[in-house]
Amino acid sequence: MNNFNTSIRVRIAQLVLLLIGPVMVLAEEPLPSQAQAGSLLWRMQQGYTTATLMNTEVDMQISGLVARVSVRQEFLNEGAEWVEGIYVFPLPDRAAVDRMRLHIGDRFIEGEIEEKERARKTYEQAKQAGKKTSLVQQQRANLFTTSVANVAPGERVVVEIEYLEEIRYEEGRFSIRFPMTLTPRYISGQSMPDKLGSGWSADTDRVPDASLITPPMVSSSKGHKLALAANVNAGMPLAIITSRYHPVDVAEHDGRYTVTLGGGQVPMDHDFELVWQPVASAAPRAMIFSETIEGEPHHLLMVMPPDQDEAPPVLMPREVILIIDTSGSMHGVSIAQAKRAVSLALEGLQPTDRFNVIEFNSTTNALYPESVMASSSSVDSAKKFVQQLRANGGTEMRPALSMALNNESRETHLRQIVFITDGSVGYEDEMFSMIEDRLGDARLFTVGIGSAPNSWFMRQAAEAGRGSFTFISALHEVREKMDGLFRKLEHPQVTGITVDWPSGVVVDGYPQTVPDLYLGEPVTVKARASGEYRAGDTVRVSGDSVTGGWSKALPLDSSQSDEGVGALWARARIADLMHNERRHSEPDETRAAIVATAMRHHLVSKYTSLVAVDKTPARPADDPLSSEQVPNLMPYGQSTNAIFGFPATATNAPMLRLIGIACLLAALLLSAALQAGQWRLRVRAA
Amino acid sequence: MSAPRRVAGRWLVACLLCLGFWQLGSGAYIPAKAWLAQELMQRAWLRAGKDVERAVPWPWADTWPVARLRSKSRQVDLIVLAGGSGRTLAFGPGHLSASAMPGEIGNTVIAGHRDTHFKFLKTVEKGELLSVESTKGQKHFYKVIGADVVDSRKGSLLLDTDVAMLTLVTCYPFEAYESGGPLRYVVTAKRVF
Repeated sequence: MNNFNTSIRVRIAQLVLLLIGPVMVLAEEPLPSQAQAGSLLWRMQQGYTTATLMNTEVDMQISGLVARVSVRQEFLNEGAEWVEGIYVFPLPDRAAVDRMRLHIGDRFIEGEIEEKERARKTYEQAKQAGKKTSLVQQQRANLFTTSVANVAPGERVVVEIEYLEEIRYEEGRFSIRFPMTLTPRYISGQSMPDKLGSGWSADTDRVPDASLITPPMVSSSKGHKLALAANVNAGMPLAIITSRYHPVDVAEHDGRYTVTLGGGQVPMDHDFELVWQPVASAAPRAMIFSETIEGEPHHLLMVMPPDQDEAPPVLMPREVILIIDTSGSMHGVSIAQAKRAVSLALEGLQPTDRFNVIEFNSTTNALYPESVMASSSSVDSAKKFVQQLRANGGTEMRPALSMALNNESRETHLRQIVFITDGSVGYEDEMFSMIEDRLGDARLFTVGIGSAPNSWFMRQAAEAGRGSFTFISALHEVREKMDGLFRKLEHPQVTGITVDWPSGVVVDGYPQTVPDLYLGEPVTVKARASGEYRAGDTVRVSGDSVTGGWSKALPLDSSQSDEGVGALWARARIADLMHNERRHSEPDETRAAIVATAMRHHLVSKYTSLVAVDKTPARPADDPLSSEQVPNLMPYGQSTNAIFGFPATATNAPMLRLIGIACLLAALLLSAALQAGQWRLRVRAA
Repeated sequence: MSAPRRVAGRWLVACLLCLGFWQLGSGAYIPAKAWLAQELMQRAWLRAGKDVERAVPWPWADTWPVARLRSKSRQVDLIVLAGGSGRTLAFGPGHLSASAMPGEIGNTVIAGHRDTHFKFLKTVEKGELLSVESTKGQKHFYKVIGADVVDSRKGSLLLDTDVAMLTLVTCYPFEAYESGGPLRYVVTAKRVF
């Protein structure tokens, strides 16, 4: 018996050695060289955890149609070295950034507006001199960069940014959004040797500033927390005030509402949206706000055309082209939302309509060579086609859009292109130009999908395509939002809108020509007037709709005063100039006009930045300064692998083997201990 | 030592033995599956060359061979499958569908497991030749020009290159026990003929 046991134990030991053997040999082999030269495509950045932690505090003061939002970005240096933190972050695409403060302890330094290049020099000099300094630059209409230099080890520095934004009013609801992170953009083109920034992408011929707009992404972080509070003074009794995607606490006091995030802080991985709706009887039909700057009145006016709800839907058959983005960035919840949206659109087709479905990632793939009649069999096969789509690959939207815009329109059908995407591309301007050039009689409607879509791209594309823009951020709201879009698609527009100002007043207003409106959309105009108003002067907005012509006069002297209207006008003017820059070849003139407007209104733009410098040097000259880019949090529901193209390439086989060996070893030791105990027992008995 | 304690001890030993062999078995199953799948793939590959466009290696497979990766000097002969999902990589290296097809201008990206198919990458050196055969039977040769460790959360794969490139990706470090780490070992090769 004893002999038998011993032989088993020996065998187990042999087995264990046999199994451990290879593991030990593996461990002794030298590491592969990490420093081989000649790699063109990648560069390993030293370490992959940053010392800088980032948290954000947002405060919104909403009054009428204007919001002033303060964003406090807190940089905490947890490392042992002095650092420069660089943080690329999104803001609403119509934000007018006009203030920046660098807080050091109890004091703060107010940021100054300077031309971009000069601001950068001011910042670099202060950085070299060891002074605390911060710089806010605009990379895209909705993408900004904060740099803050000379943060001491263990120190906390706050950069406070303020912006003004116009409140959206659509279908009887007011809303404001705050973006928290960004979907990594798809970068294409030939890479160039030099790099402007420190993002994950190289600069390319197609996206020359790619390295500035591609911050590193992390899927989890102990920082990246956001606290938010909003004060809403709507000026009318409200029926609903709520947040779409986050739980909030709401308190009311004297008709003013205070909204705070439930539970204090949230991770910065999906956009925040606050929505409020007045009680039906108080829903405004027209509003006008004014601010006088240096003797010149600036106006923000909003007029709601008469309800079109009762108007009969368009009887003309439609040709609907559904474009669905199936690129890697749509992986996860986004593609589910997109598929659902397409299916709903397919269900809404009438048998007399024509349709087609186009999917794109790195390649473009259309269901039918050209649009077909929406028979029940063609709609069914379209639904099957959509169900099997998977998100994978790059975002080459040009061929897909080109295919949709190329088809000759039929006189018998109203052409509507519905473009469903997260817009995560770096070559936005190229797309806007193409849409404007080739739209013809078609209308382009964009549907923004996901936790953090590129809203600037989507809004601008819809504007260029003379359609409208719909946001869908959660699966449960696909139906509601798509229904809203279908009402727009089926109902007549309000056309021929004109805005008449009193005679003798010169007005610079934006948009310069008011686009056609869809159901539920108001006319909004931002204008600067020069000249004297007379008592009783009015501004008149008129237009045509199927229910007849309409017109509305607003008295100018009764307008409410609202701080920020001037800056919003300047922001609209800059957007208009940027648009001209894309269309025409007078870059120097346009640039000068943008700089002049931005400087006058203290606004950050493509050509102007805010910079703040502390007077006293903080970092000793011989202490080094390391620069690091603060990552962004991956949008909720997205996977890093799908976008960055790195699949998981390890199995858990080595781990399983290790556990197996550990168990066998433990069994061996235990059985040895048992045997020893038995032997002692026998000795004692003898 | 009391009898009940001894019995409990024996049970514990038995349990540990079972658990140990089970884990070892699971650990051995993964490379076994990887090896067996490659054998079946080789057969599917022969069919793929002829008239079948997507020759699935077994009837219920959701992937199919797209290329054959070989290194003569190392006796490596792998059938590369379409797609880079975890299911595909269990059977063979996967060609990322967003990347260029073998031999084409652009970057052909192939990913494989560090502990099975792509174990050999650890010792691959600069200047080595790798061949990639397409389903149409054309052979393309690539010369290794570099290897690097990349943080997958920070780096990205550039797919648009002006020459034909081949990029082999696997997990790093090779000796790690845990899977799911952020580092990748990336071997870059350039087409020579």
